[in-house]
Amino acid sequence: MVLKLSLNKIFSKMKSNKNLYGYFLRIMLLAHLFFIGDFSMYGQDSLAVAEVSLSFSDEDDVKTIIATAVDASGIPIEELDLYFYVTRTFSELPIGDVFNTTDENGVVKIKFPNDLPGDTEGNVEIVVKIIESDLYNDFTLKVIKNWGMPTTMLDQSEEKRSLWAAAANAPITLVLATSGMILVIWFIIGYIIFILYKISRIKVVSS
Amino acid sequence: MSKPNIELQKFRTKRGKRLLTHLISTSLQYKLWIAFLLLLIVIGMIGYYRQLRYGLEVTALRDYTSWGIYISNFVFFVAISLVGSLFSSILKLNKNEWARPLTRISEIIAVAAIICAAVIIIVDMGRPDRFFYVIKYLRIQSPIIWDVIIISTYLVISLLLLYISLLPDIALCRDRLTEIPNWKKKLYRITAINWQNHPRQIAMLQKVNTILAIAVLPVAFAIHTVTSWLFATTWRPGWDSTNLGPYFVSGAFMAGAAVIIVTMYFIRKHLKLGSYITNLHFDKMGKLLVLLSLVYLYFNINEYLGPAFKMVGVEGEHITELFVGNYAPMYWFVQLGGLVLPIIFLMFNRFRKPLPILIISIFVVLGAWFKRFLIVIPSLQHPYLPIQGVDESYLHYNPTWEEWAITISSFAWLLLIITVLIKLFPVIPIKKYKHGSETVSEQNIF
Repeated sequence: MVLKLSLNKIFSKMKSNKNLYGYFLRIMLLAHLFFIGDFSMYGQDSLAVAEVSLSFSDEDDVKTIIATAVDASGIPIEELDLYFYVTRTFSELPIGDVFNTTDENGVVKIKFPNDLPGDTEGNVEIVVKIIESDLYNDFTLKVIKNWGMPTTMLDQSEEKRSLWAAAANAPITLVLATSGMILVIWFIIGYIIFILYKISRIKVVSS
Repeated sequence: MSKPNIELQKFRTKRGKRLLTHLISTSLQYKLWIAFLLLLIVIGMIGYYRQLRYGLEVTALRDYTSWGIYISNFVFFVAISLVGSLFSSILKLNKNEWARPLTRISEIIAVAAIICAAVIIIVDMGRPDRFFYVIKYLRIQSPIIWDVIIISTYLVISLLLLYISLLPDIALCRDRLTEIPNWKKKLYRITAINWQNHPRQIAMLQKVNTILAIAVLPVAFAIHTVTSWLFATTWRPGWDSTNLGPYFVSGAFMAGAAVIIVTMYFIRKHLKLGSYITNLHFDKMGKLLVLLSLVYLYFNINEYLGPAFKMVGVEGEHITELFVGNYAPMYWFVQLGGLVLPIIFLMFNRFRKPLPILIISIFVVLGAWFKRFLIVIPSLQHPYLPIQGVDESYLHYNPTWEEWAITISSFAWLLLIITVLIKLFPVIPIKKYKHGSETVSEQNIF
């Protein structure tokens, strides 16, 4: 089923692509897999290598990322979906459109938002990926670019004491109140255990 | 193991013999009961193994209903654990002598319930191995930390309450039960910590008892109030209320009293303690349950009348869902079957007899459990800030078999701990000491 879908896709693409030879080879390879049943090859060696390079333009405050996708022999790849992200603290933030597909020159351009916070110097990490393409291996490229807004690192020691602050900056009244209550009740528990110890030490003179 | 001969033990009083007999004779019924509980526990363990293996995905917990029946069960267990303080503190300090034979039962239930409550929290965690991060990265601003602190404190206090009231009776077991297996002899010898009924020992124990009776009360109130704050400090309809603390505490006392009635019924029946747990106790407990239910009813009216009168936004949707929506059958069962009708029935003498009050109490306990379900789940399904394009499945919550199996097995654990403690230690306090103005004398009352 998967193979059949892939073949249909390839045939439809062949109509609009000059690089017929490459597709012919792939079809032969898929046909070989189909008839021999050597599925272990599918999804590993059958996919071709693609590379993406990034260039950047910054004109009149409009920041654009230009990505160019080429195959192993340097020929531009058309109609390849690329995925763009900016690395954040916990995960990658997607940027660009939902689908960013290369044109006949293998080029796709996306706008970079102006208001993304970067590190203290404004550096952000831009990531471009090829993910689960039918024809090409997965690919990831990360580039550091000075396009973010510089942020000042918060000094925790200067942070105001509040309920939403870090553990070290809890409101002093809360710290005192909770610690006080905990100390009182655990002092009582300790005292009771001490009395139990004293009870166990009482010597009884048997008559 | 050969069956220990009751006649070989060194009983001195008839009372001692009657109250210690169940510690040395094991009936077939008891073994079947334990086997049944173990079976439930094994089924729960299979469910929990699957949860550990595949993650919380095997439950019906999703982004909306992230606290399911595990947390409702947790609140229920915390609630019934409060009953220990009701007997060991409130009734004791008010000198309600009739409640004395029930004190031990209440303390055992408190210990078992608080252990299960602590464990069920770990079960609710997707990554239980990260539990110690709570302590490692402790933030005193978080109500969850308050809850962890107060639960561990209450667990220790409950154990101390049980142990201190047990101490003279453990010594009695050590001295009287001579024909018992060695491990039991050793257990009694170690836990009796050289208790010899020495007047100084008795005086010290009396002192400790009074300190504990006073100290347990604020801790008991705190534990359930803090549990209510887990909800009250979260911005959700139905929880955004200043009434939640007393509402939870009063509900806990009501549920706890009902659990005591159910437990004392079965203990009286199976351990043949009819002369110690009498009809008078059921009658008094019935009246106490009415009082506690009336207080809870009052807080219920406070909890629902305001939002129902205003019917504002999501809060209104939440109330509609409870009163006439999907949760209406459960809501009206809880409010009528588990609260209003028990109050009405228990006002009549004839319903405060053992069997009728048992049935009524079972309804109160069921109502109390489903009430916690209603407090937790419908609120989660109506967030003030809904997720955009939310998955349809997030809007409903139907617990999976794994969740039910684990929840039922937590009840099996509760009953197992209670059963084992009753099997090891006297369930009715045998020794009683009277602290006179000048002398400390030992008395065997009843």
